[in-house]
Amino acid sequence: MKLIALETSAKTASAAVLTEGKVLGTASVTAGLTHSQTILPLMEALLKGVSMELSEADGFAVSIGPGSFTGLRIGISAVKGMAQGLSKGCVGISTLEGLAYNFQGLHYTVCPVMDARCGQVYTSLFWVNGGAPRRLWEDMAIPMTTLKEKLQSVEGDIMLVGDGAELAYGALSDTGKVLLAPPALRYQSAASVGFAALSHLETEGFIEPAQLLPAYLRLPQAERELLAREAMQKQSKG
Amino acid sequence: MMNFTSHSAAETEAIGARFARMLRPGDIVAFTGGMGAGKTAFTRGMATVLSPDAEVSSPTFALVNDYGGKVPFWHFDMFRITTLDDLYSTGFFDYLEMGGIIAVEWSENIAGALPDRTIYVDIQITGEEDRVITIGSRRKGSEGNK
Repeated sequence: MKLIALETSAKTASAAVLTEGKVLGTASVTAGLTHSQTILPLMEALLKGVSMELSEADGFAVSIGPGSFTGLRIGISAVKGMAQGLSKGCVGISTLEGLAYNFQGLHYTVCPVMDARCGQVYTSLFWVNGGAPRRLWEDMAIPMTTLKEKLQSVEGDIMLVGDGAELAYGALSDTGKVLLAPPALRYQSAASVGFAALSHLETEGFIEPAQLLPAYLRLPQAERELLAREAMQKQSKG
Repeated sequence: MMNFTSHSAAETEAIGARFARMLRPGDIVAFTGGMGAGKTAFTRGMATVLSPDAEVSSPTFALVNDYGGKVPFWHFDMFRITTLDDLYSTGFFDYLEMGGIIAVEWSENIAGALPDRTIYVDIQITGEEDRVITIGSRRKGSEGNK
C-alpha cells in the first residue's frame, strides 16, 4: 500500500510517501506560511522523485489540527480534493499525535506542545514503549500553568516535542521532569503523520473525503478575557 | 509617544502617510478611538506610501483587506470579532507570521491577543473636524485607552 501524507499545520509544509513501515520519500519547505503556493508543487516534485503517479496512491493522510487556521485548511482541502477526484480514502491525524510519532519505537513519555498564544498551549500526552505511541490524554487547549500542574502527577521524565516545546521547557524545567526533544525530532513532519495513519489503518478503515474535517481546539479561558474586554468597550461606545 | 493634531480627514491622511514611512516589514499598527475618528482615513494615508494603487475601505464585513504592496499591507477590522475563536478563524495569527505590515481597526476587541511589538495609534475626537492622534508603543496588558 502507498500512502501520501501532508503536514501544513505550522510553518513547515511537508509531504511524504510511505509504504508499509518505511518512507519512500519526503520533502519539506519552511519559507513562511505560503502553503497554498508550496504544498502541491512540493508534492509533485516528491512524486517525480519516487517515480510515482498520484493515481497510484491508495489513500491520503493529513494532520487535521490543532494548528494554524489557514495552514490546516490548505492541507485538508488539498487532500480532500485529491482523494475525491481519485475516489480514494483519507485518514485525519491529530497534529499532536503526529508529533508524538516522531518518537515512535523509542521509550519515552511524550508531551507534544504547540503555542496557542495568549499563554495557552495545545497539548496532549503519549506513552511510547518501543512501538507506536499510545494516547494517555485527549488533545486539549490549556494554560501553561495548568499543563505544569497536570504533569506533576506523571511519573518519570517527559519528552517535550513540538513548536511550543522550547517555550514549555522554559516554563517547566524547574519541575526537573522535562526533556527537550532534539531539533531534528522536534517539529511536525509528514512522515510522522503518515506513520500515525498507517498505524491507525491497522485497526480502522479510511474515511470518505467529505468526512475529513479540521479539529480546531477551543481556548475557553482566553475567550472569556476577550469577551470581558468587549463588554467594557460596548459600554464606552454607547 | 508622538502627538499630532488634525483638522480634517485630509490632514489625518497626510499624517498616516508620514507615519507609514517609518514602518518596517512585520510591524503591527493597532487603532483605538471611536466611530468616525478617522481610522480608515489614516489607513488610506498609509496606503498611499505602502501600496499606492490600493483602494482603501474599512473591511467591516470582509474582516481583512489585502492591499498588496512591496511589503504586503493588510487591513483588519475587528469590530465584529468578540472571541478568540472568532479571531483565530480570521487567520490573524497566521498573518502575524508573514512579515507584512498590518493595520488593525477596533483593536480594543483583541487587546489580549496583540503582540508586544504592536504600535498603537489612538485617534480622539476633539471637535467636529478636530482630532488628536497619539502614536506610541504600550506594554501588553496595560489599559491605555480610556
